[in-house]
Amino acid sequence: MFLRLVADSFSRRPRHKLLTGAALALGMAVATAALSVSLDVGDRLAREFRSLGANLLVTPQADSLPLEIGGVDYRPVNAGAYLPESDLGKLKSIFWRNNIIAFAPILETTAYVTTNPETSDPGKVSAAQEGVRTPVIGTRASSPVFSPDGSTFITGIEKTNPWFRVDGRWFSDSAGSLRRENVSMPPGFGHTYVSSPDECVVGAALAKGMNLQVGGAIYVKVPDSQEMQPYWPCTITGVLFAGGPEDDSLLMPLSRVQQLAGKPGQYRKLYVSALTKPEDEFGRRDPSTLPPADYDRWYCTPYISSIALQIKEVLPGADVRVIRRVAEGEGAILTRVRTLLWLVTFASLLAAALAVGASSAASVIGRRTEIGLMKALGAGSGTVGFLLMAEQMLLALVGGGFGYAVGILLARVVGQKIFGAAPEFSFLVMAVIVGLAAIVTLLGSAIPLRRASRYEPAPILRGE
Amino acid sequence: MPDRKMFWRIIRRLLSANRGRLLVILLALGAGATITAALLNLQVDAKRRLTSEFRTLGANVVVTPRNSGASANATLEESIASRIPKESEGGAVAAVSFLYVVAKASVLKQSSSSRAVVSGFRGDALSLVVPFQELSHAVSTHGNVPCGVGVGIARQLKAEPQAELVLRADGASISCPVGDVLAFGGSEDNQIFLPDLAATQRLANLPGRISMIQLSVPGTPQSIARYINALAQRIPDADVHGVRQFTEGEAKIYNRISGLLSATVGVVLVLTALCVMAAMTNVAMERRNDVGLMKAIGGATRRVLRLFLAEAALLGLVGGVLGAAMGILLSMWLGKAVFGIAARPRLIVYPVAVALTILVAIAGAYPLRRLANIRPAAVFRGET
Repeated sequence: MFLRLVADSFSRRPRHKLLTGAALALGMAVATAALSVSLDVGDRLAREFRSLGANLLVTPQADSLPLEIGGVDYRPVNAGAYLPESDLGKLKSIFWRNNIIAFAPILETTAYVTTNPETSDPGKVSAAQEGVRTPVIGTRASSPVFSPDGSTFITGIEKTNPWFRVDGRWFSDSAGSLRRENVSMPPGFGHTYVSSPDECVVGAALAKGMNLQVGGAIYVKVPDSQEMQPYWPCTITGVLFAGGPEDDSLLMPLSRVQQLAGKPGQYRKLYVSALTKPEDEFGRRDPSTLPPADYDRWYCTPYISSIALQIKEVLPGADVRVIRRVAEGEGAILTRVRTLLWLVTFASLLAAALAVGASSAASVIGRRTEIGLMKALGAGSGTVGFLLMAEQMLLALVGGGFGYAVGILLARVVGQKIFGAAPEFSFLVMAVIVGLAAIVTLLGSAIPLRRASRYEPAPILRGE
Repeated sequence: MPDRKMFWRIIRRLLSANRGRLLVILLALGAGATITAALLNLQVDAKRRLTSEFRTLGANVVVTPRNSGASANATLEESIASRIPKESEGGAVAAVSFLYVVAKASVLKQSSSSRAVVSGFRGDALSLVVPFQELSHAVSTHGNVPCGVGVGIARQLKAEPQAELVLRADGASISCPVGDVLAFGGSEDNQIFLPDLAATQRLANLPGRISMIQLSVPGTPQSIARYINALAQRIPDADVHGVRQFTEGEAKIYNRISGLLSATVGVVLVLTALCVMAAMTNVAMERRNDVGLMKAIGGATRRVLRLFLAEAALLGLVGGVLGAAMGILLSMWLGKAVFGIAARPRLIVYPVAVALTILVAIAGAYPLRRLANIRPAAVFRGET
């Protein structure tokens, strides 16, 4: 009888039920969308902040003090210590390896750059004719790094410094490298430099000053170089707009600069871009004073300081420093924005709850006559309440489920539009939404139902 | 006008006929208005606040000598700093002039010495250009200005706070007590910060010259770009450019966050409209008898509809006026919770929120249009 009554109520007023169900579904759809977007948004935003560049700097521990002004190091070329490039793969073996988004090793030197090597015959020329003294930055544009567990990771300065704009293209990291070993020549020729030409990228200010164009050639000479060949030709593949000291520099593949500087397989600076959790009260404590359990918690949280320690552990002889300008700014803004987003999500959940609550309340209010009739026929307040509740719950389940499906679609559209990637499916969202639908529907119906239980059947049936 | 009097009387009766339903609709409208006003106010405020939040990243515009290139000797006329406008569209601009000189640094009565970059600056706004660095300026015992020492060079020289630091270059020599030890995590860790530009100029033997000016310009990405262009025209003899690392990054993040905020506000508004519409649909269902009677005694469909629309607008007005006021208070509290400063109430938000609520209420009354098709006879026969 009970089920028949419920079924009858749905079949007798399908339109009415459809409307209430639709309101429920829409409310839940919005709640689902808001919740899944904001659950997902934390990670996406943190990734977005990586467009500010590297937040960790690795330097050799035993290095002499750099004399750096405006990004140009004024130390003598051979002063200071270096780190081995072969260790780079180990970065992807630390506990938070997946949080390491990109890294770029840097080796800097100074060289003379000219467009016309014929006039510069070493021995006879004055310094002015020798070319323009230019800082040379050796780095990887984007090339694979092999980690000890056998996987490869493609990274380079393109990823650590996403604000770099290159007109043309980056040099290819393998251009011009290792060719003495690779090229087999007929006996008598010895080793010659004949394979793919060197490639380089010139800073915008340098390009303007020397009137260089993409596709043109320049010649690079390192003072006191041990190399036989005084001038190295290289093809300009791109012009770099960096908005920093790099605009005055010449950028070349790391392997080529290692050769020019006489430091094969070595680098001096490593920029690491890592996804981190903003430091909270716990993260700021000195890890050496923590008890073992807390230390493990600190070590297993992606704070910038714990990632720095883990990098230090795998790179012997390295000093890992937090670039505070980026790390602290990022932490402060990210914390604020996350709080803001949670509040906004909370507001939309509240709005959804009110929408659902109001429509279920309205649907109960609209059934006064029916309630009066049931009571006149001898139904108790409890039975009537139970019947109506069951109907509402059924609606909540169907409407909520449908709304969840629509909401997931909506979240995908919003996520795609704003972050270029759809949020992933989360079981938590589903649980919260089903729970919310049930609670809100019950609460929305409870108040008018309580009033309904006090109705006297007679006046209602008389139509008063 | 008895006609108008009757009109209002009917509306009064319609409203008071079912208190419970009236409350539900008012609650829906009021809550909608509250959330709309709160989000609108917060959105306007949050975007502005966000741009000032970005200033924790430090300087985003630099003025350098033209063709500085590899020669560190290129300098600027010091007077250029006075030609920088102190206001941008986004607020006050902080500018600090720097002069870099390589000097030999040592601690008084200690043998170790090291070559270090001395970065002399002018302006008390260093905290705005490098806000991520806490500067406490230890009290000097010598009456000299204490200088900030990077951790790297401090470790090298074993410089303790209060110790006397001697800097020598080109025969000139100055001394300053060690103030703060600063950790930047970059090349600045090996610099000595001397808050006395004139003394640095004496040390470098470059009177009236500076190496660069760092600016912290607040505002949206577009307004910062306009400021850079205006400044470049104003100072043609120097190179003005944005620090792309921060201007680009900020622009990207700003666009994402404000897009997200706008999307959420839009969704909540649509939701509120739907909520009111659902409540109004139930009203329409119940009003069949009333409409049947009105039509039977000669009420024109248009007049009946006007009656219901007036009712909806009135509800929207009441709900909007109460809800929007609450919403603005709510947003002030939210602003305090998020940014630490109460969001400034925007007067424009209030009328906008009220108007939106009324519009939503009228749009929500759309289902009432179905009442126009009611045939009185069918209603009185009790047909559904």
